[in-house]
Amino acid sequence: MAADLVLDTAIRDWVLIPLSVVMVLIGVLRYFVSKLMRSNQVPDAKIVKEGQLIIRARNLRAAANFIPPKSFRARRLYYNNEENGLLIVPKGQAQNPQAQMFSDPNMAMDMMKKNLSMIIPQTLTFAWVNFFFSGFVAAKIPFPLTQRFRSMLQNGIDLSTVDVSYVSSRSWYFLNLFGLRGLFSLILGEENAMDDTQKMMQMSGFGFDPSKSLGAEKDSLDILQHDWALPKFEHRAEAVLRELAR
Amino acid sequence: MVSKTEETQLNRLENQVDNGGGGAWEYLCLVRKLKVRRSEKVLKYGLSILNDLKKRSSLGSEEWTLYEQVAIAAMDCQSLDVAKDCIRLLRKAFPESKRVGRLEAMLLEAKGSWAEAEKAYSSFLEENPLDQVIHKRRVAMAKAQGNISGAIEWLNKYLEIFMADHDAWRELAEIYVSLQMYKQAVFCYEELILSQPTVPLHHLAYADVLYTLGGLENLQTAKKYYASVIDLTGGKNTRALFGINLCTSAIGQLAKGRNKEDKESLELQSLAATALEKDYKQRAPEKLSLLTTALKSLKVSS
Repeated sequence: MAADLVLDTAIRDWVLIPLSVVMVLIGVLRYFVSKLMRSNQVPDAKIVKEGQLIIRARNLRAAANFIPPKSFRARRLYYNNEENGLLIVPKGQAQNPQAQMFSDPNMAMDMMKKNLSMIIPQTLTFAWVNFFFSGFVAAKIPFPLTQRFRSMLQNGIDLSTVDVSYVSSRSWYFLNLFGLRGLFSLILGEENAMDDTQKMMQMSGFGFDPSKSLGAEKDSLDILQHDWALPKFEHRAEAVLRELAR
Repeated sequence: MVSKTEETQLNRLENQVDNGGGGAWEYLCLVRKLKVRRSEKVLKYGLSILNDLKKRSSLGSEEWTLYEQVAIAAMDCQSLDVAKDCIRLLRKAFPESKRVGRLEAMLLEAKGSWAEAEKAYSSFLEENPLDQVIHKRRVAMAKAQGNISGAIEWLNKYLEIFMADHDAWRELAEIYVSLQMYKQAVFCYEELILSQPTVPLHHLAYADVLYTLGGLENLQTAKKYYASVIDLTGGKNTRALFGINLCTSAIGQLAKGRNKEDKESLELQSLAATALEKDYKQRAPEKLSLLTTALKSLKVSS
């Protein structure tokens, strides 16, 4: 039955808007709480050094054509030299960052705090939505969907014949979860704790970054062909001066 | 480095404040953001805001940043009493702050008690070995005491950790040039060119050092870099134009028998000479005769 259901405007007033307002408020609250709870992190010397090294190697790669070939080769050797080059990570030292993470108590605490501040509000809000706002159709999605989405979007609604475009409030919750990031960056400025999706992405690719990126830089430096751009500049300068003289 | 728009904005604000218009607070904020060194003006206008109770309370929590800024400006202008007062107020407000501790160590430095300041800085670095500002203050102190080799040593250690800090490379390059250690200066300038290849200043300085080093290969490289400066600045850089002329004549002197090089370079040199003459005609016509004689002597020897 693909009949058009008429949704009560009371749904809009009492479900959609309050849900969004509540999520915004919780986000703001989390931002301030995370600001208070942030411990003073002393950055690790090794990580800082590696980060700077990567920037320097990247600069070398980007602007290699601006320095004379001899200096480029000298620098490349300095970075990639087998014994004590800066970009070489000896096999033994590429330790498992996961193990390192758990053995270091400070880092474990920090990770836990960050995770907590993210997980708890999400769980609570989700439970609240399920408890209060389930069992009815909350909204209609403007475009048609296939039947596969039924289980995802229509969780509280037990009628199997209702069009999949009519969704429950749980999907509104998820929509808000991912969509309010833009709003938060407007209200709270650049640095806000609502970067859930960013944090989730960060969790998957953790401390393994330094040694991998060093290896990547080394390889790209090895491949790089040096094509000194300066001789061309002489001709360009002539052209410029000729323009001026006219 | 400060961009052109920011520079014009800064100058405009400065004029406005100088001539009695308002806007002192915006001026101070802009100075702080751009990290420009205008200590006298900062001191004058900062103090006028701080001494006026109404304006001070309207700043709210920003007044502490202003205290810090005025304290540093006062130390730069050697009004140590003003600095001491500001720091005392800051210390009362933030009794455990490392930032205030750093200001106190800077005050010791300004007073000239080098040993105590050195002790203070070392203790800060023990707590946090990655504090960039403290490292730089230590280098500045060594330089101020005249201990240039110590400054070089500290700066090298700093650069081992923070190798992407181009201001530090620039400082090191200038120190090397002042000590005539040109080969090391060449390395530093190469680092600068790598990190900011489109800034003509670095190319110019590099070319200068290469020309000073001498030797045919260096001279040819120097000429190429002077040419790149002309390209990057649209021909307006007088120093680069002179550089081209000097390089060509020096190369000609060194390599008397090479015809191919001469033919290529002659055009560039004559073009540069014409551009120079035009420039002088516009800006300093009374010196034009000096220029023409100098250029003629260069051409004769090449």
